[in-house]
Amino acid sequence: MKRKRIGIIAALLLLVALPSLAQDVTTITWLSLDWPVDDVIAEFEAQNPDINVEAEQVGFNDLFAQIQVRLGARSSVPDVISVDVPLVSAYAFRNWLLPLDPVFTGDEVEDWLPAAVNAGSYEGTLYAAPVSTSTQLLFYNSGCFDRAGLMPPGPDDRLTWEEIADIAQQMTFDDDGDGTPDVWGFIWEQMVRIYQLQVLPESLGAAAIGEDGLTVDGVINSQGWIDAFTYYYNMFNVWNAAPQGEEFWPADIFETGNICMFVGGPWNIPRFANNADLEIEWGVSRHPYFADGVPATPTGSWHIGVNANTENRDAATRFVHWLSTGEGAEMWWRDGSGDFPAQQSVLALFATEPEFDELPMSYVRTAADEATVNPRPRAVTVGFLEYEQILQNIFQDIRNGADVEESLNLAVQRIESEMAKYR
Amino acid sequence: MRSKQQIIPYLLLTPALVLLLVFNLLPTIATLVESTFVMSLRSGERVFAGFANFERIFKDPIFWKSLQVTVVFSLVVNPLQIALSLGLSILINQRLPGIGIFRSIYLLPVAVSLNVTAIVWRLLLDKNTGMVNGILYQLGIERQPFLHSTEQALWSIILIASWIGVPLWSLFILAGLQNIPPPVLEAAKIDGANAWQSFTKVTLPLLRRVLAFVLVADTVANFLLFAPIILTTQGGPQLSTNLILYETYRRGFLYGDLGASAAMLSVMLLIVFVIVGVELYVLRGSD
Repeated sequence: MKRKRIGIIAALLLLVALPSLAQDVTTITWLSLDWPVDDVIAEFEAQNPDINVEAEQVGFNDLFAQIQVRLGARSSVPDVISVDVPLVSAYAFRNWLLPLDPVFTGDEVEDWLPAAVNAGSYEGTLYAAPVSTSTQLLFYNSGCFDRAGLMPPGPDDRLTWEEIADIAQQMTFDDDGDGTPDVWGFIWEQMVRIYQLQVLPESLGAAAIGEDGLTVDGVINSQGWIDAFTYYYNMFNVWNAAPQGEEFWPADIFETGNICMFVGGPWNIPRFANNADLEIEWGVSRHPYFADGVPATPTGSWHIGVNANTENRDAATRFVHWLSTGEGAEMWWRDGSGDFPAQQSVLALFATEPEFDELPMSYVRTAADEATVNPRPRAVTVGFLEYEQILQNIFQDIRNGADVEESLNLAVQRIESEMAKYR
Repeated sequence: MRSKQQIIPYLLLTPALVLLLVFNLLPTIATLVESTFVMSLRSGERVFAGFANFERIFKDPIFWKSLQVTVVFSLVVNPLQIALSLGLSILINQRLPGIGIFRSIYLLPVAVSLNVTAIVWRLLLDKNTGMVNGILYQLGIERQPFLHSTEQALWSIILIASWIGVPLWSLFILAGLQNIPPPVLEAAKIDGANAWQSFTKVTLPLLRRVLAFVLVADTVANFLLFAPIILTTQGGPQLSTNLILYETYRRGFLYGDLGASAAMLSVMLLIVFVIVGVELYVLRGSD
């Protein structure tokens, strides 16, 4: 009986003591997309036993609204946020992000791609650490080229948009005769997003936004934009070589052989290469451009920042530092998002890793080179969220048959109305 | 003893009143207060600004366009839903062969969540893969863009809203119909009234209270329609389905402009208040 009582007292003492033992561990919350983060977090926690990282993962569209509402309300949680890079200036302008300059050494900053450092900075101060960057390639189904009696391009060929239009129409097939093609010639992976579509007018020499970072009148309704989005309109509405309707993820349809070509990110390379059930033959070539214009490729990706109102400043900055430099950055590239790394030391691994010696994984080296060809970041503006959302609606309208000039003028009206608050 | 009995009704009402206060009245007051503040974008500091937010939205063509869309939508959807609900409730009130099965089926849309309904209709109405267009094509009719056309999108939203609304409201009207004492209708018949006269002179006046409730509730529900918009058109194409509630969401939650959002909500509240007041006045009963 006495022994039992001692046992109970000991258990109670342990229960009382446990929280105080655990007090040394700081828990931080990381708001991000639904990337595979478990291994990366486990490694960080193993190296930093005093920090516990809880991932809060949301979908692409929800992330922006979540950040807007939570950081806008000056909430102290989440401590760390993944930031789509063109939004850095919008968040920094609102003082939602902690300046990160003191966190990194000169060598660490120099290891990042200069464009990524600029994109993560606002008025000369670094607010979000570069984690990844991106580029785009043309992915094609070789079988479609055979069926249409055409020669597929090589990995270093760069087709013009005019050639793409011509080929795409020849590779659109209505096999069952129900009035809707079963195999479509072409699509953009992010079919209504500025990330992929901005380079269309830019290939024709047009700008993405006015020099003050706020004006769009005379810019997004200029002749370059009208010509570029007339091409985009024709692809869906006149040539009927690309599907209208709801947004979808083209890689899924590409794998089933129902899309012949799409412009997409290099993240598709390991996806297709590692898909043992894939029955189609596929290849890549460089990002297309307009015959009368210049090559222009989309760039920009994810950065990581610290909430300015966090109550765990030290733990949050340590995590951000680890993930964006050295070993953490390499692990994030290998086991995390799989996106192109923003660190030159990690990028260099593409050239030396034997994994990339043979086809199709060697296409990753094509992508690494393509990332250096006139990369065009998205517009730098404190009103990027409004700019992007409104244009996304407008592109969807054009894709589904709305008049190009009328739509772009409506975008001007709406964006100018939203930008007024920043002037 | 008497005072104890007087307290009991209040005690029973308290939970409902507390919930009403917390979830309806306080947020409404908070919205009205918020509409008079502007927030500094840089510091997040809130500054009293009087009617500045209202001035701003009144100068904004997008606000007026949204209001216009909402008015057109309401003018069509409310009479349409009530007329169809009334017709449906009269139908299911009849003793016809097989009516029991029909009664079970017609209510099914009410049992499905509005979100699921919106997503299913979005898929059904897709131009390339939607079942509706598949049927149209088989009938030799050209595929229609529905939710992606400036001419058809608002009508498609009206269809989705009515898919749920009509059976729901008809349920209330049916309850009203079944409350009409059969002797009253028989008396009208004996007095020589034909079916139409009996409907307009006896049934409709006796349904006035139920219709007043349905009209008010339907108006408010359609003014607050949100899920089908965010799940299908997101206000497009070219703002043709940009109902005012979706515009307030966009301003407040996507663009972080809470002042403008609250001002729009306040205007909306005032409009709903006036419309409901007029509806109640028109349908007021002497009984």
